[in-house]
Amino acid sequence: MTTRLPVLVLFIGAAYCLLPVAWVVIAATKSSSELFGTSTFVPGTALLSNIVELAGYRDGLFWRWAGNTAIYAGAGAAASAALSGLTGYALAKFRFPGRTAIFYVLLAGVLVPGVVLAVPQYLLLARIGLADSYAAVLLPSVVSPFGVYLARIYAAAAVPDPVLEVARTDGAGEWRIFAAVALPMMVPGLVTVFLFQFVAIWNNFLLPYIMLGDDRKFPLTVGLVTMLKQGNAQPALYNLVITGALLSVLPLIALFLSLQRYWRIDLMAGAVKG
Amino acid sequence: MRGALRPILALAAGASLLAGCTTDSGGDEGGSAGPVELSFWTWATNIEQVVDKWNSSHPDVRVTVSRQSQGDELVTKVLTAAKGGNAPDLFQAEYQALPTFVSNDAVADLSDFAGGAKEKFADGVWAQVTLGTDAVYAIPQDSGPMMLYYRTDLFQQFGLTVPKTWDEFAATARALRAKTTSNFLTTFSSNDPGWFAGLAQQAGGRWWGVAGETWTVGINDAATRRVADFWGGLVAEGVVDDQPMYTPEWNKSLGDGTLLAWPSAIWAPGVLESVAAQTKGKWAMVPMPQWSAGENRTGNWGGSSTAVSANSRNAKAAAEFAIWLNTDPVATEALVTAGALYPAARDAQSGPALAKPPAFMAEQTDFYPQAKQIADTAVGWTWGPNVNVAYQAYKDTFGKAITDRAPFSDAVAVMHRTTLEDMRKNGFKVEG
Amino acid sequence: MSRGPRQRAVPYAFLAPAIILFTLVVLLPIGYTVYLSLHRTRVTGLGLGRGARTEVFAGLATYRDALASPEFWRGALRVLGYGAILVPTMLGLALLFALLLDLPKSRFARFNRIAIFLPYAVPGVVASVLWGFLYLPALTPLPVPADMLGPGLLLFAVLNIGLWGGVGFNMVVILTALRAIPAEVYESARLDGCSERQIALRIKTPLITPALVMAGVFTVIATLQVYTEPTTLAPLTNSLPSTWTPLMKVYTDAFVRGDIHSAAAASIVIAVVTLALSVLFLRLVAGRAFAGEDL
Repeated sequence: MTTRLPVLVLFIGAAYCLLPVAWVVIAATKSSSELFGTSTFVPGTALLSNIVELAGYRDGLFWRWAGNTAIYAGAGAAASAALSGLTGYALAKFRFPGRTAIFYVLLAGVLVPGVVLAVPQYLLLARIGLADSYAAVLLPSVVSPFGVYLARIYAAAAVPDPVLEVARTDGAGEWRIFAAVALPMMVPGLVTVFLFQFVAIWNNFLLPYIMLGDDRKFPLTVGLVTMLKQGNAQPALYNLVITGALLSVLPLIALFLSLQRYWRIDLMAGAVKG
Repeated sequence: MRGALRPILALAAGASLLAGCTTDSGGDEGGSAGPVELSFWTWATNIEQVVDKWNSSHPDVRVTVSRQSQGDELVTKVLTAAKGGNAPDLFQAEYQALPTFVSNDAVADLSDFAGGAKEKFADGVWAQVTLGTDAVYAIPQDSGPMMLYYRTDLFQQFGLTVPKTWDEFAATARALRAKTTSNFLTTFSSNDPGWFAGLAQQAGGRWWGVAGETWTVGINDAATRRVADFWGGLVAEGVVDDQPMYTPEWNKSLGDGTLLAWPSAIWAPGVLESVAAQTKGKWAMVPMPQWSAGENRTGNWGGSSTAVSANSRNAKAAAEFAIWLNTDPVATEALVTAGALYPAARDAQSGPALAKPPAFMAEQTDFYPQAKQIADTAVGWTWGPNVNVAYQAYKDTFGKAITDRAPFSDAVAVMHRTTLEDMRKNGFKVEG
Repeated sequence: MSRGPRQRAVPYAFLAPAIILFTLVVLLPIGYTVYLSLHRTRVTGLGLGRGARTEVFAGLATYRDALASPEFWRGALRVLGYGAILVPTMLGLALLFALLLDLPKSRFARFNRIAIFLPYAVPGVVASVLWGFLYLPALTPLPVPADMLGPGLLLFAVLNIGLWGGVGFNMVVILTALRAIPAEVYESARLDGCSERQIALRIKTPLITPALVMAGVFTVIATLQVYTEPTTLAPLTNSLPSTWTPLMKVYTDAFVRGDIHSAAAASIVIAVVTLALSVLFLRLVAGRAFAGEDL
């Protein structure tokens, strides 16, 4: 009897978390009038026509948005993981003046809310001619204080100093040591950083909203919100937004499912520590 | 050391690669080679179809639509972009936003290019884009005269008469509630300041004025207070709903008949078709109730113009497009049929596209002729340089008044004070 | 085995890309924000026409105005209350779920873990729209009170969205730390006859305190910065003014009213307060969090 309680509690938690998702799945099957007409958990008949309408919206802009999101998230997260790895390694494996200060300053970056930085970032980037470009969204996305934190912890745990010393006495240069010896050991941790930053960029709304003027460069979040806000004479395209939201969440779910073993960096850390 | 430098070199290389990824966004590819590229920020329904017509008939000037914001938010986006030197060539400017744009030096003066356009518009409309000066700051696109829409079937079912004055409106609201507690005549929205502004216009309000070099703020005038207390009283009595418009719940209320009427503007059929398609054919349009029997006035809700950016590199081409968009018969017909707008150009108002009623209200065959009569009674007023502030204050203060069950004229007073102080803080000479 | 000057420069060289990017993207904008907060716009004449608006130095006047507004303080108090409820609830639930998942015979563990983590995949704006639908009495299947978005319950409505979105992520962070504990640590406890509950509470939880603290800090920071959810819900209700949280006021000032100077001043105040609170929080628990870590 007591063994059932934990599973029950977890099921309740799972149901709570899945409820809006289930709602989206059902709501995406409804046309505009069904959405406001029928009872919530009754599936509608319009999933296919919603998808078709969404795909045709302004000549396939939705797919362009999806492609943009993949670029921003994929390239941004990859660059961020690489940069975090390099930075974390340097902070973990070297002793030098300013080490703690630099670490804390980088971490403090997470304290400043995005909405505060958004307009000054835009104006600064406009000054160097990068506004309304893919770079304007990618550059701020590459900076990840949390990624640096994770990478540093992981480098400290997974890269043993003796191995580095051996490489040094063998005469290898520092960059080579990092690239050929330390980096492979850090891969699981860096994959976590990649996943974390991938999701953060995928779900980011404010940064691309501020930086971009051309709506063909929008990611999905901004694109979907513009379909919601169309002014007084054209109300929100709720059925398209809901269908779009469903479609945009699916790739992330697939990503989670396929790469979930990388969330278990604990095992490597445990093996090393143990 | 060379090895350790690699990360820095990599970053520099990456950054310059990314910088090269800047794509066109402002039309400076022009010059001698290739068509002139114009960017157009707008939110008008289906405007791409109209722009396509231009692009196919004008191969040397190509206009690209970007639909990334609307209303108040687009104002700020344009202003921020202008500060960064990155504003679009063309953008949609609601009439109430024009003074803000002019005040921030964000629009170009089109008087050199717009000579012939003046006659195509009524004086009142043209005044909205000249702001009483010799300059022309934008080309009018559409207007939004206000009228009342109601459910004919439900009015019949509940035995209600169509109100011609606001007193009759109140009586109808009470009569409905006496018969049923699950319906309301309509709702008062704390989220739609433009709607309230139109109602205040009808009552004779003047929220801003100019006297020489001094602005005056009159949000707190008797006419506006009268409108506020009228609606506040109905809400307090419980005969009018208090939910905001343009929410999922409001959509549902329109669709299932919880709300029987909607004081709205001429573009309402398009909205109703979107949110309550199942009620097609059940609505009728009549003039807005009046404050005195026999009067004939109404206000405006919305209405936009097309403006050219002050730092556009192709102002002449942009002006040509703006004039074409809003006066050429091909364009205005498309604006009506595809965009469901009521065009501001006089010719278009009596054009063929408006011969038939909107599909959503097909039984009302004299829809547009009647609408034109109503449009001719629409009064406007001067808009001030901080409309966004006033509008935001409306949302906050009226929302609070509803939640606190306070008189609506209190909300108007706070709105007035907020607007006045904001202008003072910015250094305007202002009285009120 | 002394390190020559070339060796000493290596860490700085490795850190350079991050520092350069950080300066460009964070430090310079912060500097510009400070500059903006010390200025304001003045208008000449009617304010129409070229050159009508100029930026003038205003000293601390903008700060005075921002801090003098009672809505700012009301919003700040509200956020502190919001955080005081959300942080323990979020961490408590995340810890509970993680401990339950870490039990030896946890069935359907994979399904539950993925299900609870799923909300992390939904952007804040979309989550607010979805919950908005679920809160409106006319449209919701849930037994939601009719005035869920009214003044009394609004805080909980927003709280719920934040909780829903974050509990899965925090659960995974804690679960990761739990899995890092070698099994031998509590094998002996099991042999001694301790129940799983005692093991969970007396052994596991203290061992993962560093992870709890880090999750706590990031949750505190996230709650102090709440603005997406209330901003998206605001059009649905009469009870959400644009100054409901301090960051909403910043957003409204910057993007709706076009008053970037007020927004800048308020932002600096918020950032400073967030920094102070985070340092305070870390100071209180830093010893336990980083014992054994060579920082």
